[in-house]
Amino acid sequence: MMKKLEGWLMPIANALSKNKVLVSIRDGFMFAVPMIIIGSIFLLISNFPIEGWSQFIASFAGEGWEANLDAVTSATFDCYAILGCIGIAYAYARENNVDKIECAILSLVNFLILAPKKFPAYTNEAGKSFSGFAFSNLGTKGIFLAMITAICTVLLFKWAVKKHWVIKLPDGVPPAVMDSFAALLPAAFAMFVFFVVNIIFTHTSFGNAPAFIYAVLQAPLLGVGRSAGFEVLYQFLSTLFWFFGINGPAVTNTIFSPIHQALTLENYEAAAAGLPMTNIFTAGFSDFFCNFGGGGSTLGLVIMMTFFSKSKRMRTLGKLSLPAAIFGINEPIIFGLPIVLNPLMAIPFLLTPVLNTILAQVATQIGFIPITIGVQLSWTTPIFISGFLVTGSINAVILQAVQLAMDMGIYYPFMKMQDIRYLEDEKNAANKKDNLDDLSFDDLQLN
Amino acid sequence: MKIVLIFDSGLSGEGGKSNPNCPLGAAHGGIGTAQIMEPAFKKINAEVQATLFCGVGYYREHTEEVVAKMTAMVKRLNPDFVVCGPGFNFPEYSEMCAVCCESILENTEIHTCAMMSQENVEVISKYAKKLPILKMPKKGGVGLGDSFEHLAEYMDASVNHPEMIAALSEKYCY
Repeated sequence: MMKKLEGWLMPIANALSKNKVLVSIRDGFMFAVPMIIIGSIFLLISNFPIEGWSQFIASFAGEGWEANLDAVTSATFDCYAILGCIGIAYAYARENNVDKIECAILSLVNFLILAPKKFPAYTNEAGKSFSGFAFSNLGTKGIFLAMITAICTVLLFKWAVKKHWVIKLPDGVPPAVMDSFAALLPAAFAMFVFFVVNIIFTHTSFGNAPAFIYAVLQAPLLGVGRSAGFEVLYQFLSTLFWFFGINGPAVTNTIFSPIHQALTLENYEAAAAGLPMTNIFTAGFSDFFCNFGGGGSTLGLVIMMTFFSKSKRMRTLGKLSLPAAIFGINEPIIFGLPIVLNPLMAIPFLLTPVLNTILAQVATQIGFIPITIGVQLSWTTPIFISGFLVTGSINAVILQAVQLAMDMGIYYPFMKMQDIRYLEDEKNAANKKDNLDDLSFDDLQLN
Repeated sequence: MKIVLIFDSGLSGEGGKSNPNCPLGAAHGGIGTAQIMEPAFKKINAEVQATLFCGVGYYREHTEEVVAKMTAMVKRLNPDFVVCGPGFNFPEYSEMCAVCCESILENTEIHTCAMMSQENVEVISKYAKKLPILKMPKKGGVGLGDSFEHLAEYMDASVNHPEMIAALSEKYCY
């Protein structure tokens, strides 16, 4: 059964994890994560979930103090599509062995070519309409356009390079000058194509390319992201891949990550506009209410190993793994217990994140915890702190405590079975009287 | 067939990065990651006799002592085969695997191999011509189960069907 399942999953994992486009999209958005996390810190400070916080800061920083922090938040959250576009083009150029930085810049230019720049509906007192780039097209709504633009830009650039549409300068010219001239014709070709595409879209009922991509691709995919089974499926598949030794999120995020990101940013934008947030399955929800202590939500297991196991091996491993587990890292037990390919651990390992997800989903739907705000914290943020920061509610801390207790309950019988096996091993080893009796390194004859 | 495994502290369940200075140790039978290798070993009637391990930090500080003592312990246990790995893409542990494997080959008659992923470019380029290094995926990579099957196949050929070893080396080794 396991062999069959592995045989079925491996080609999928292989295809997804080696697909250059999907890997570039995943990695490209990852480049933006540090900036988004820093932006989240500013967002958190300006919206810290404590009653009277804003007034308290205003008492010494002055009214409207949040505006200074919002400058950073806007430059990250509201420009997420731009960050993604640059990152994806860079990653895809890397995969295709073409000029990474030129492709990244070119991709940004092409994205801006397609972005609407005239807004006749917004006019000033003099009757002049707003002309420029609107945050509404550079943030969430532009995510899928950014992906497509980045990929197409690199493909066009690469095609032109392959056709030798390259200006070659004589030897001795500084490399930076050489590279920029080498990129001139491929960039001109790619920009011309986007120029034509932009004109074509202005003559459609959509009015521009971003509106078309949003309506045809992004909105339906986000609809999938809002459906009841979306997060459960993500968690289950991620853990299933991990069980077979394959880094699950590295595979599943190629598909799910853009949707998670878009849903998260939609909540941020809704909150910023004073509208209710509606998306449950954000990155914060996924990171902090479905898994504690790493894939398979193994924090509960590590706690049980540390305090309730009897075998020396399991207790030692639990103690050594606990500090890392608090920060979401479970490498020591993944291979040390082990969990990977261990049939005994398959049931709790696969079941726990799914049940966590369902419980958190229900808790959100009935209003026990609020929908997660747009804040994106590092996935290593410890349990309880993370719950409070991504929701601003003490109920989220209570929910995480309940989930952790449930996780411990699920893992307990399986941990116990493994513990009994290790105890037997330890007793057998102690009773053995053969040539293995002495495994001491102290009295060895060294050559 | 009796096997001895050479692990780092992470694979042996003694804590990896949280316990890099774990000194040389040995345990009866297979411990830690051995459990996921054992189904492949069973197919060739192989049994893990003992697991030798040490942290990569300890290895770095006491390289000569670790290699000499690992080799001497292998001599004392006299298994049919010694698996130095799986090193995954852990650079220091993979180096330890290669160095121990080389020492066992040079100082004993016991069959052995190292095992690691292709990310260990330096170790592979330095040792691949001197000793058998079996291919495997990096941590989280695709094909871990298959790589253990290949290892078992290689071990069986090494001990029982030496005429097949050249073909298998071509197929499974760097």
